[in-house]
Amino acid sequence: MNNIINEIREKARQLLAEGKVDVVIGYEKGSLPLKATPCFVHSPEGVDSLIWDETCENNLAAYAAKTPGKKAIITKGCDSRALAVLLQENQLVRDDLFIIGVSCSGVIDQRNILAEVGEILEAKISDGKISVKGMEGDKEYLFAEVKDATCQTCRYPNPVMEDLHIGETIEVAQDAPAFADVVALEEKSASDRQDYFKEQMSKCIRCYACRNACPLCYCQECFVDCNSPRWLTGGVNRAENLFFQAGRVLHLAGRCVDCGACTRACPQGVDIRALNRKMTKDVYVMYNHEAGIGEEGKPALNEYTTNDPEQFLVKE
Amino acid sequence: MQQNPYIPITMKLVKNLVETEDRLINTFTLEFLNKQDEENFKYMPGQFAELSAYGHGEAPFGIATSPTEPGILKFSVAKVGCVSNALHLLEEGTMVGVRGPMGNYYPLEKFKGKNVVIIGGGFAFTTLRALAKYMLDDKHRGDYGDITVIYGARNPGLLLYKEELAEWENNPNINLVTTIDRPAEGWTKHVGFIPSITEQIAPSSVDTYAVVCGPPAMIKFTLPVLEKLNFTPETIYTSLEMRMKCGLGICGRCNIGTEYVCKDGPVFSMAQLKELPNEY
Amino acid sequence: MKISKEKFGQAFDALVPEYQVIAPVSDANGIAFKGVKSFSEVKQDYLNSKLPPKAFFFPQHEKLMSYKKEGKDVTVKSELKVEDTILFGIRPCDAKGMQLLDMVFKNDQYTDPYYFERRDKSVIIGLACSKIAPTCFCSSFGMSPAGSEGSDILLIDLGDSYEVEVITEKGKALAARFEALSDLSAEEQALVDKIKSAETASKVDVANTTSKLDKMFNSPFWDTLQEKCIGCNVCSFSCPTCHCFDISEEVRKNEGTRVRTWDACMAPLFTLHGSGHNPRDNKKARWRQRLMHKFNYFVHNNGAMACVGCGRCIKSCPVNMDIRQVIDGANKAELVVE
Repeated sequence: MNNIINEIREKARQLLAEGKVDVVIGYEKGSLPLKATPCFVHSPEGVDSLIWDETCENNLAAYAAKTPGKKAIITKGCDSRALAVLLQENQLVRDDLFIIGVSCSGVIDQRNILAEVGEILEAKISDGKISVKGMEGDKEYLFAEVKDATCQTCRYPNPVMEDLHIGETIEVAQDAPAFADVVALEEKSASDRQDYFKEQMSKCIRCYACRNACPLCYCQECFVDCNSPRWLTGGVNRAENLFFQAGRVLHLAGRCVDCGACTRACPQGVDIRALNRKMTKDVYVMYNHEAGIGEEGKPALNEYTTNDPEQFLVKE
Repeated sequence: MQQNPYIPITMKLVKNLVETEDRLINTFTLEFLNKQDEENFKYMPGQFAELSAYGHGEAPFGIATSPTEPGILKFSVAKVGCVSNALHLLEEGTMVGVRGPMGNYYPLEKFKGKNVVIIGGGFAFTTLRALAKYMLDDKHRGDYGDITVIYGARNPGLLLYKEELAEWENNPNINLVTTIDRPAEGWTKHVGFIPSITEQIAPSSVDTYAVVCGPPAMIKFTLPVLEKLNFTPETIYTSLEMRMKCGLGICGRCNIGTEYVCKDGPVFSMAQLKELPNEY
Repeated sequence: MKISKEKFGQAFDALVPEYQVIAPVSDANGIAFKGVKSFSEVKQDYLNSKLPPKAFFFPQHEKLMSYKKEGKDVTVKSELKVEDTILFGIRPCDAKGMQLLDMVFKNDQYTDPYYFERRDKSVIIGLACSKIAPTCFCSSFGMSPAGSEGSDILLIDLGDSYEVEVITEKGKALAARFEALSDLSAEEQALVDKIKSAETASKVDVANTTSKLDKMFNSPFWDTLQEKCIGCNVCSFSCPTCHCFDISEEVRKNEGTRVRTWDACMAPLFTLHGSGHNPRDNKKARWRQRLMHKFNYFVHNNGAMACVGCGRCIKSCPVNMDIRQVIDGANKAELVVE
């Protein structure tokens, strides 16, 4: 890890000193244990705050289009997929981007830790182990035990596009996506599924952290904010919340890169990803498409081919 | 308990008049349904009210009538958003909601014994009309010195209250100067932008207050002219626009620094504005 | 004076038929304030709720009025319905937050009837904090984990009993319902003293923040401060003092309701004019508003800071914007000579 951090800092220093970029977007140590926070480094003197570890959970591609000038971005596999979709949708200029790729073995999901040890007072990560001192007790975890659910099914830990790679790459099996989590949900009865989503949607407070953390939710005016026509009310209840979440997922059909940023951003622990994953599977099954796995190509629904399935048009 | 300030009174739309030739501004004449509502609605020129188009929402508009015109309220409203569009489409006779009066008003007490120069551009003339109308009223005219109105629009068809302007032309109690941006057929009065016309007219700043309302660009270029004429920031007033919802200084969106435009404004002197952050 | 938890529970249960009783409970998502029917449902050991209890006076979504159109006519009806309410287990930071909200919902000209009808018909039973989270920083604002401001009655947990402090007249009336009060033992008194003298470990220095901010509207500090903020509403919604709202209409055919819903200064549309002009059209302006409002404008208007140090915004922020660091940054920012 330390070598990776040193290399990141060195490269950032070089890019800024040579004037190749105006800003390096990376991570620095956050104010809370096990939290990294996005940081914007504008001068070579600032690079020593940059870090890299299993707490770097934000998808920095969300800042790419909103940050003016030329920028270098520390990019994980999923972040690179988001950048690829943004490029495919002409939201970014490739020449303004310098992608510092880092392979990622996953990020930590704090939720289970918090549930067990209470507020975290101190934490240490070393050798794949996370030792935590909490208000309600201490515990040591294996990284695999607290790895974010998204990362457990990740097939693209290595950046799909980059200008420079730092550290080693991670071997991944080249098999087709399995979607075991989606299948498990699909196999539940309709009423069980309904109960599940009712519970999830009742937690949503419509703070739009999911939308704003998403690198691909970039609409100038989100459908939830539109007042003529007014698609949904400000009512915070299951029906309205589901309408928002389902609407967002449909807008991401064929575009969602399954980075999990929305679910991690949610302060209420809504399982947003369950909807996204189902939609990702459907797009894969229907179009044999995975979003943003290369710089070329178009999102599945931005393109028409004569082979496209039409089950949704004609019900047999 | 005081009356619930969120509940509008119901008023009848008795006239929905297309005011400008681009058909973007209509003047609504609303009639009080009973004496009690009118009694409760004591207002002064410069104040505004929230108009409800039921089914669409409510939005704030300056009151274009003066309290010297009993029984009714008038609003001249540009078609810009969902509420104003809905209001434009209302049939005469429809009931609408009115919440108000809200905000402060032009400092008519201070104006007493002084000359007043009213400078307005475009459709921001509504509460200025109320102000002039109030001072011109027989009961009040004696309280003020010379009243000068400099009013401009892009072309003659965009001037508001044309009949009234025609009447003021021949009224010895008021000095009316109208102008349009570019020459137009049949137009015999001034041609030019407000700032340069103001410079030409050169109203004296001695014992005089100025009230300026209009698009930001007009205000920006008129202020230096007034300064040249020796108006001080304390003698120049304007009325600000802001996105508003509650109108009560609670919902939090219309503040400029510590001041809520809906409650502490919309009328501010330039001296007051100089003390506030430049965020409007 | 103290009351055993058993006796308190009996008194609590006896109040349920007369009042809507709100208390902390454990749900799928952590601790939440909810209506309860019995003291046995109440979560005893908790830091604080995930969302502040302000929603009981200022709901996230609230009907202001309803109307019905018939032809050109309309009938309008107020939708203000309020029950007598007891809020139990409110932490001192949140109780103080209510006092700050009182200053917003009543100003020199208007009183918000929806807020105050509920506020006036409620009694707040505060519960002092026995445990202090690392993100708690209420002591920065002259408050304390056992502060009584905003509570009508303050309880201090002594294990199997509560120490009872009556703070207001309203509290006195309710406390009359508690029976079998007894004196504290010396040991218990020592515990009470200890809890009352506790301070949060985390503190920010706000002594000069307001006067510093007076001079900082045009500071370059704001340029970089907000870069990582993603502009969501988590901090506002989880803040006990944030109170901005929107008013809109919900329509079904010829009937409708006018509602108010929480809004936030972080939303770009919050200040967008009909003309398209937006006085706060960038994140920098919006963050400046957020900080200025809490630590400068509010102080000038109400004589207090609009932050109670509950730490919710710190815990919930998806990008770890830490308000303590932001205040610290403002304190340290160099002033530019204009």
